[in-house]
Amino acid sequence: MMAGSALRRLMAEYKQLTVNPPEGIIAGPVNEENFFEWEALITGPEGTCFEGGIFPAKLVFPPDYPLSPPKMQFICEMFHPNIYADGRVCISILHAPGDDPMGYESSAERWSPVQSVEKILLSVVSMLAEPNDESGANVDAAKMWREDREQFNKIAERLVRKTLGLPPPE
Amino acid sequence: MPVTLLDRLPLPNLKVYSAGSVLLLSVAMYYAVNVTSDPNWKANTTLQKQETASGIVEGEAAKMVQPAVTAVIAEPPMTDTKNFSDQFLEVMTFMMQEPLCMWTLINMAYCSLALFGFFIQKVVFGRLRVSEAQRVKDKFWNYLFYKFIFVFGVLNVQYMDEVLLWCSWFTLVGFLHLLGQLCKDRFDYLASSPTSARWANTRVLCLLMGILTAASALFMVAIVWGLPAGKDTFAFMAAECLLLGVSALHVLARFTLRAHDADAAGPAAYYTHLVFDAVSLVTETIHVAHMVVYSNVVVSMASLVLLMQLRHLLYAMLARLRRHRLYTALSSHMSRNYPMASAEEVLKHEDNCAICWEPMKEARKLPCSHLFHNSCLCRWVQQDASCPTCRRSLTAGGEARPAEPPLTGPNHLFHFDGSRYVSWLPSFSVEVTRRAGVDLGPGLAAATATAAAARPAPDAAAESTALVEQVQRLFPQYPRALLVTDLAVTRSAHLTIDNILEGRLPPPPPLRPAVAPAPAAPDAGADSPPLSDELDEDDSAENAFSATAAEREAALQRRKAELRAAARARFLRRRPAPAPAPAERSPRS
Repeated sequence: MMAGSALRRLMAEYKQLTVNPPEGIIAGPVNEENFFEWEALITGPEGTCFEGGIFPAKLVFPPDYPLSPPKMQFICEMFHPNIYADGRVCISILHAPGDDPMGYESSAERWSPVQSVEKILLSVVSMLAEPNDESGANVDAAKMWREDREQFNKIAERLVRKTLGLPPPE
Repeated sequence: MPVTLLDRLPLPNLKVYSAGSVLLLSVAMYYAVNVTSDPNWKANTTLQKQETASGIVEGEAAKMVQPAVTAVIAEPPMTDTKNFSDQFLEVMTFMMQEPLCMWTLINMAYCSLALFGFFIQKVVFGRLRVSEAQRVKDKFWNYLFYKFIFVFGVLNVQYMDEVLLWCSWFTLVGFLHLLGQLCKDRFDYLASSPTSARWANTRVLCLLMGILTAASALFMVAIVWGLPAGKDTFAFMAAECLLLGVSALHVLARFTLRAHDADAAGPAAYYTHLVFDAVSLVTETIHVAHMVVYSNVVVSMASLVLLMQLRHLLYAMLARLRRHRLYTALSSHMSRNYPMASAEEVLKHEDNCAICWEPMKEARKLPCSHLFHNSCLCRWVQQDASCPTCRRSLTAGGEARPAEPPLTGPNHLFHFDGSRYVSWLPSFSVEVTRRAGVDLGPGLAAATATAAAARPAPDAAAESTALVEQVQRLFPQYPRALLVTDLAVTRSAHLTIDNILEGRLPPPPPLRPAVAPAPAAPDAGADSPPLSDELDEDDSAENAFSATAAEREAALQRRKAELRAAARARFLRRRPAPAPAPAERSPRS
């Protein structure tokens, strides 16, 4: 029964994202046999070091979605203070109200059923633009972001080129 | 107990298996015909026949007459003067006595059952989805394992014919169980798919009826043959039939509930499920307990497995009971504290339920005046006692305990990577998550105290100021009065921000002094329909949402490719050549 309402809601969200897509974002189930696994493409926000890149990510929904949040993981190489080395995204909107791995988020920022795939992806875009220093999912990236922005930008540029299938700058 | 190891065994596929079976059968038939063409064959063969054995085998044989007949017809016509049916009878009698031939016949029976199952699957379900196939496979191996334990561990059968009888019984029951499982999975899928496939539903329904009929037929078999064999045997057989019937009826009941458009968390649906769950859990527990008692609990592998299963069932029962308690507590709590919204309120609300995104015919209203489906709210509150939209705590001391303390215990993750040791060992990981139950205790206790009391005014004021500040931090250009009015309607920073982002709130006066001062009446903001963004939609045909999965998948692929290509083109346009500066080398990993 659970999975039924989850599927209906996912279908509604998919429809909304298809008919009325937010700029630079595409998301949907790759194979509708499994509606609980989506792939999303996120365009790097303009005016940031990730500008122009197309970053693919995987979204895995729980059977009781939208009561529990999906899990999101980039499937391309990423270097960002709030993204783990394996691509998992660390933002508060993706944390269930119960769990608080970092122990500082207020429950108002966490997952609630009124959130949606679109809101998650928009949050991720703004996370790409403005990393959150406090949650260090990738400590090296956080340090470099603070101390050596030029080097960080170079790495970002290489990643952007990689996602576009272009060779790294000479 | 999922048996992953068995997945890796090289099992032949159905085509190879049935071809092999038919070949074996023809060889056996040929042999039998050859032997029986000698008129004195009865004298030649050593007749170690026991009357009972052949009598029992007859039951088995009845099922295989069909394939046998076709095979016989395929044989070249006999030159014998004997009557054809006499000849056939003789061949059959011979085959029943010759162990090798008999095994071939049994094999053929299984083969035709497999073919029959395959046929039903093709007709009723079409191609199985991955999860369905996996579920059926798991169930099959589980079933095989437990019935093996039952036959050899519990009944401790000594004679081959008894084993054969039980095997054929369990084959039929298991076959029906697997079909029932398929029906259940397919129903879940159909119930959740956005398009209603009437024809697919009808086929599944027909199959369910068939399963029910077969289950009652098996029950008759249990009465006719099981009862004379003893009360225990009868009880074992009857329990199997009952379990089969209950699971089929449960799916049928869910069909009915859905046909009547019943609220998924409403009392009618809930108690139907409760009854079915209770009956099947109790029956199964009694069944297993009976097995334990019957096998005289000596320390053996079998009794160990049975006791494990019994423990598992008892836990399942306890969990169900706890869920039931929670449900009753929750529903009484909700109905006492959060009244159903009046009809006008629901009409005026006009938005869909924020949890399931479906329209509301009736709704429950929280103290913060947000509306939700009763069932959706029920399920969410079980997880987190706060309003999904504005996060106001629903436990009575909302303001006293601003942040719900995270009650989840630690998560344990255990990962076993078998392939590191031996290539065919399975890999698996187990994650134990302890999720805190609903924090109903204090909520319920204090609920009665604050049920009637309205929200204290100062709190409300402080809260709304905080919300306004939260929104204004993001949109400093919006006048405060406008935000206050919108927040009074939405009571949620999230919703107001949405309204601003989607243009439902009139845009703020631009900072240039020449333009008109304030936007129109602030009231119009919240209620005015979203600006007609259909007009901005340049290629609405492009973004159409197709009705079939395949088209949607293809469209998604195409859109992705387009996005990539566009981004690439844009990137190259901006930076025409790869930067030729040789000094800057970006680090490579």
